[in-house]
Amino acid sequence: MRVWFDQNLMAARRWAEGFLLAPEYLWLLWFIPIIILLYLLKLRRTSVLVPSNLLWYKSLQDLTANAPFQRLRKNLLLLLQLIILIALAAGAARPFFKTEGATGQSLCVLLDHSASMQTLEGDGARLDLAKEKALELVRDMDKGDKMMVVSFADKAGVLCELTDDRSRLRQAIANITPTDSATHIRDAILLAHSLKLTVQDLHVIVISDGRIADLEEITARAYDLSYLQVGASQNNLGLIAFSLRDPLEGQGGERQCFMLMHNASDQAITTTLSLYLDATVLAAEELTVPPGQDYELVYAMPEIEEGLLRAELSHDDDFPLDDMAWLAVRPDSKVRVLLVADASSNAAYVLQRVLLPDSRVELSLIAPDGFASSSDYDLTIFNNFAPETLPEGSLLFLNAVPPVPDIEDAGELAMPPILATDKEHPVMRFLNPANVSIAKARQINLPQGARSLVSTAGGPLIADVSRGGQQILMTTFDIAGSDWPLRLSFPLFFQNLISWIPRSALGTDVSVAAGAPIPILPEPEVDVATVTAPDGTATQVRLDPLRPVYYAGTDQLGPYDVTVGEDHTLFAVNLLSKNESMTGPADSLTIGRGEFAAEQGSVKQNQELWRWFILAALVVLTLEWWIYVRRAWL
Amino acid sequence: MTEGQTRKPLLNAKFLHKLDHLSVAARRVRLGMTKGDRRSKRRGSSVEFADYRDYTQGDDLRHIDWNIYSRLGALYVKLFEEQEDLTVHLLIDASQSMTYGTPSKFDFACQIAAAVGYVALTSFDRVSISAFSEHGEQRLEPVRGKANLRKMFGFFEGLRTGGATNLEQAGKTYFTRNRTKGVAILLSDLFDHNGFEEALRRLAMYGSELYVVHILAREEIEPDVVGDLKLVDCETSTATEISVSPALLKRYLANLTGFCEAARRFCLARNMVYVFAPNDTPIERLTLEVLRKGGLFE
Repeated sequence: MRVWFDQNLMAARRWAEGFLLAPEYLWLLWFIPIIILLYLLKLRRTSVLVPSNLLWYKSLQDLTANAPFQRLRKNLLLLLQLIILIALAAGAARPFFKTEGATGQSLCVLLDHSASMQTLEGDGARLDLAKEKALELVRDMDKGDKMMVVSFADKAGVLCELTDDRSRLRQAIANITPTDSATHIRDAILLAHSLKLTVQDLHVIVISDGRIADLEEITARAYDLSYLQVGASQNNLGLIAFSLRDPLEGQGGERQCFMLMHNASDQAITTTLSLYLDATVLAAEELTVPPGQDYELVYAMPEIEEGLLRAELSHDDDFPLDDMAWLAVRPDSKVRVLLVADASSNAAYVLQRVLLPDSRVELSLIAPDGFASSSDYDLTIFNNFAPETLPEGSLLFLNAVPPVPDIEDAGELAMPPILATDKEHPVMRFLNPANVSIAKARQINLPQGARSLVSTAGGPLIADVSRGGQQILMTTFDIAGSDWPLRLSFPLFFQNLISWIPRSALGTDVSVAAGAPIPILPEPEVDVATVTAPDGTATQVRLDPLRPVYYAGTDQLGPYDVTVGEDHTLFAVNLLSKNESMTGPADSLTIGRGEFAAEQGSVKQNQELWRWFILAALVVLTLEWWIYVRRAWL
Repeated sequence: MTEGQTRKPLLNAKFLHKLDHLSVAARRVRLGMTKGDRRSKRRGSSVEFADYRDYTQGDDLRHIDWNIYSRLGALYVKLFEEQEDLTVHLLIDASQSMTYGTPSKFDFACQIAAAVGYVALTSFDRVSISAFSEHGEQRLEPVRGKANLRKMFGFFEGLRTGGATNLEQAGKTYFTRNRTKGVAILLSDLFDHNGFEEALRRLAMYGSELYVVHILAREEIEPDVVGDLKLVDCETSTATEISVSPALLKRYLANLTGFCEAARRFCLARNMVYVFAPNDTPIERLTLEVLRKGGLFE
């Protein structure tokens, strides 16, 4: 019953949104029964004793007989009040109708320049059609009209702020270049609607093929926009997934290359799939993908240490961008962690329990007596022990004072309560150690530049004492003397720590989406990395010795070469988006709570009618007041 | 019945003195109960000669005109005019609706009745008073002569009001016990839920000359009401809810005028005298001018 009700409510809401911008305000209509109830509860009249009400009664009857709309007469005021209420509710719900043309106001043009806009439409690309439509809008502008141009793909960018300068607008539209990334409109919508707060009559026009990935992420509210559909071609077969799969644990076997294709057209397409490792052909196969279907392929891969895998479809379609995909294959590398602790201690036990299940970690254990050097490890964890000199790599001292200058051991703190947490620090993300109880801790005075991550009244409990590019963390308490290992914050801390420390090599993350950032790890004594895009453009990126930097200029598809010092790392940037590969334009956009049908020709703009409803309410209110005061027809 | 309030003297001495010169006029000579100052249609034994007629056997020999017999040799009987008294019936509406107004319509009615009664008693006419309402009748049995003035005024002071109006029943009750024809004066606001027409028709049937003094309060003639009101009829307790509007007031006034006009026409058609008497009319003007002009006094 409830489901039925909800479904019908949703259907009614969708229907109402066809002509109302804010149908939620129809709740005002709930006042109708209240007004009727107030009328049913009779007017409290003053009783007056009269010698005879014969004449009054007769007069009342005469008046009734003479009054127009006799049936309504008794409830004329009620009727008028209901009309006022309905007019107010209708006005608040912002009714509208569509009119041709988009003049007499401010326009915000959101222009899609995502990968799918590179689909061929006749002689040109789909983006050219979109730009042509935008230029049409500029041409149709009347004197006083204003327009702004926002492009969106994986990110939104304001190309021209609100202006009536047509030449600037034309220039901004002409400057829009295609990107190879997926479509995300959320930022653009938010940008446009934040502008609506200051520009009341701003009308938003989305020029797109409607293949947008993040429509569901947009806040469910009423938006006022028009969707100008561009493009028609749906003749496309493309790769939508390309990955390497490790054999299942314990089963041995070979790695597998997984490929998924989608045929967006309404006809079967025959293509030749070729798989290359660098320049070597690994496989080639002719296959036919039925219309509208996915097609899955799995190849058993030979043992590959390193290289660039490339899958390529050879056929003729209107969207060649998704006919190729790459994978950068790198040696399988793990974070090497050395735990310097007494193997029989509780701390060693819980640390192993936390670190061993992490697939990124390769854990070794050594007793403090046997520790000499840790140059081969990414992270060394010392438990109740500190070497005399700082070893290499990242370090974590548990209940030990690292041999760092200016660090002072000022005694002990009993039962230190946790008072503050530095949640900005990468290792403290998503964790809240406030409920941890600690039996005792050392009171440490930190050197200058050190950062207390978890603090108590006397000093830090966990501190970042990194120096000279080496990441060093310490705790001032024994984890075995606390209930921290029992808390959720304990494994999260080590998860964060493993992610935070610089690693000697990247993992096997072999593909990123177009527009997504690629991480560049610092290398000692190297300040600048060089990123070479697939088209050969080289970009210099300044490195941070403490943490990875991210390069976001991945607008092109293909392999990116990142050179840090002598090291070369390959990153594959792929489209691999079913949404983009389905090049046929969407008939409607569901943005927020509104469903916007595609408008092929000219822009239809919403003409809002609320002013007329409010005016009508005022007029009827005046009439009602006049009738009440004058008692006309009553 | 509600308790009557202590009233001021109904009529002042100066006014009473003016009334001394008046007497109740009977347009038609009526049969009285006792010999009075008025000529009667009946032939009787007064000193006023009226006519002769032939002697028939059985006539009183004392009435034979012997002078005629000696001259003409025929027996004629002398007829003398009978002199009778006039009975003035004062019918006062004592229903609850008559308590309305300042002064109340009932007080005003009593003043008029007292004035008429005074004139009648000083003219040696018989006065019979009945104050009636649904709750019953308060009656002053017929009295005659100035000696009964105190009794009459005392009767007025002791009157009580209350109950609904039933003119027809009141007339019936009164005239069943007092069939003497004379001058009947009805003092009422005519607000009878059964209608006044049938009642007046019945009253007329008893043969008296009927004067209808229609008393209305100024507050009824020009109602000063505003807002949304619940009008409760003081007699029947029925309520009418009104929202006062100019249109309603206009309609009310039209109905009131129509009501008075209907009463006037009704009376005119039945040879009754209709006198409209708002409660703020000075009693002197009403009696000395209006009622005199209406033919009640001479």
